[in-house]
Amino acid sequence: MLFFGRLKEIVGHAEDSVDLPDGAPIEALFSHYGASHPELARFRASLVASRNQEFAAWTTPLHSGDEVAFLPPVSGG
Amino acid sequence: MTDSIQPDLLALVRDPIDQDALIQHVRAQEDGAVVTFDGCVRNHSQGRRTLYLDYEAYESMALGKIREIAEQIHEKFPVHLLAIAHRLGRLEIGETSVFIAVSSAHRPAAFEACRFAIDTLKRTVPIWKKEYFEDGAVWADGEIPPAPLETQTAKPAS
Repeated sequence: MLFFGRLKEIVGHAEDSVDLPDGAPIEALFSHYGASHPELARFRASLVASRNQEFAAWTTPLHSGDEVAFLPPVSGG
Repeated sequence: MTDSIQPDLLALVRDPIDQDALIQHVRAQEDGAVVTFDGCVRNHSQGRRTLYLDYEAYESMALGKIREIAEQIHEKFPVHLLAIAHRLGRLEIGETSVFIAVSSAHRPAAFEACRFAIDTLKRTVPIWKKEYFEDGAVWADGEIPPAPLETQTAKPAS
C-alpha cells in the first residue's frame, strides 16, 4: 500500500502492507484503512485507485504482492 | 525516418530543468519546428500570495504515464521527438515545474502535440503539489484521473 499527498498526512506514513483474503477487492482495502482513519471516507469520492501502477476499478481483485494506492486528484504541471 | 526507435527524453528530476538540453534533444535537421511549453511557478493562487510549492509524485507510475503520453502523441501526431521533464520537491516562484519540447517537420503537429502533452499530463500523471502561503499550506485542487469503472483483466504483480 502506498500513500501520497494528503492521504499520506492522514494515515501518517507513505507505505504499509496488509494481509487480505486472496481476491479481495480494492474497495475492501479502502474499508480497512477507513476503519482506522475515518477522515479518509471524506475523500473517497475524489480518489481513484491504482493496482501495480495502473488505474484500477474499486472492484479489482487483489492478490499477494500487488502494489495498491489511493490517488487524490492530480495537480502536476 | 525511423518509427521503431523513439528516443524521447522523459524524466522526473529534482534539480532545475535544463531547458536548452531538452530543446537540443528534440531538434534535428529534418525538423522545421520546435514548440515548447514552460510551466512555471506562479506567485499567486486563488487570490492568495504563494511563497513556494512542493511537488511529490508516485514516481514509477508517473514515469509510466508520461511514457504513455509520448506513445499516444506518436500515434496521433506526425511529430519527430519529444522531451518532457517534470520537477519534484520544493520550487520557488518563477522556477520551471514542467518543460515540454516537441519537434516536427511542420509546425501544426508540434503545436497540437505540445498542447496534448501538457493537458494530458495535468489530468493523468500522479503528481501532486502543495501550495505554501504566508498563513498555511494546502494541497492544490487537482483533476480526478479517468479510471476504469469495471474490473480489468488482471495482470500479475511484477
